Amino acid sequence: MQIVISIDDTDNLESRGTGEIASLIAEGLTANGWGSASLVTRHQLLVHPDIPYTSHNSAMCFLAEINEGCLEQVISFAGDFLGRESAEGSDPGLCVVSLPDLKHAPELIAFGRRAKLEVITMPEAYQLADRIGAHLSEHGGTGQGIIGALAGAGLRLWGNDGRMKGSLKFSRETVPAAELLAHPNVDEVRSITGESVDALDLVRLGEKPKTVLIDGASVLLVSAAEAGEGEPLWQTLHRKELKDY
Amino acid sequence: MWRTLENGVREFIAGKESWAAAAVAALDCPGFMLDVDEEVIADEERSCYNCRYRRWSAASFTCQWRPQQG
Ligand code: SF4
Repeated sequence: MQIVISIDDTDNLESRGTGEIASLIAEGLTANGWGSASLVTRHQLLVHPDIPYTSHNSAMCFLAEINEGCLEQVISFAGDFLGRESAEGSDPGLCVVSLPDLKHAPELIAFGRRAKLEVITMPEAYQLADRIGAHLSEHGGTGQGIIGALAGAGLRLWGNDGRMKGSLKFSRETVPAAELLAHPNVDEVRSITGESVDALDLVRLGEKPKTVLIDGASVLLVSAAEAGEGEPLWQTLHRKELKDY
Repeated sequence: MWRTLENGVREFIAGKESWAAAAVAALDCPGFMLDVDEEVIADEERSCYNCRYRRWSAASFTCQWRPQQG
């Protein structure tokens, strides 16, 4: 069965990031034979004076396909991991949503979208988690990270928010779009201006190319390159062009 | 490039889209520490926008670095 795991607020200014903790949980899930995880995505939440966060307010999230009967083990593993590995002074929160058991998915998605715009309280997050059948737990500090964790799950389910953690690796700097599409983390190669990208078109890869989530797909965005004959028609976006995803 | 808030923290006055200014501000800063990859947004690696010690705010960011942090 498919689940969403989302975590927030596990770091401090000197510690490793929440993304790495999410990746380690994903690896642990596989190593324990409970299932397999998909790519980790980062979701930006509201930055506001009333919200405590370290330097950015972002949740990290991944989908996993787990074996029947493993849900409780996965929840307990992820919770213990957060309690043990989160940084001093952080307020970690964990959300696990079993998709077959999820009720009122649109409410969860709406919550995630609101958390990008409004300050939300912990009681409200708990009430929603209870109503929709999601697991939500605190693992240190004030536990404030539960709000972002629940929001991250909603945004991942929405499928129109977030960018991948890490980057795509290819052995060459210029590859045809078809080769990009063969990568397990690329569902689509799409032009930022809406023109279609042919499978045979060459794409120049910039530094650390990343996909973003659009319409539920992991999309590698490209823009037109200044191409001479035989040169790539497209190039991947610069980092700053991806910052709002 | 900076203003000092009431609590003594410095706020970058050029906002979130001044890529060149954010790179210049980080150039000689002894506190610069590259943030984890997923939080890196500027193409110039050495930039306040990529620094672990910048704390984003609605309009810009504040610098959380203190000299004793090394
Ligand atoms: S944000 Fe980082 S690079 Fe910029 S002034 Fe502060 S410590 Fe230096």
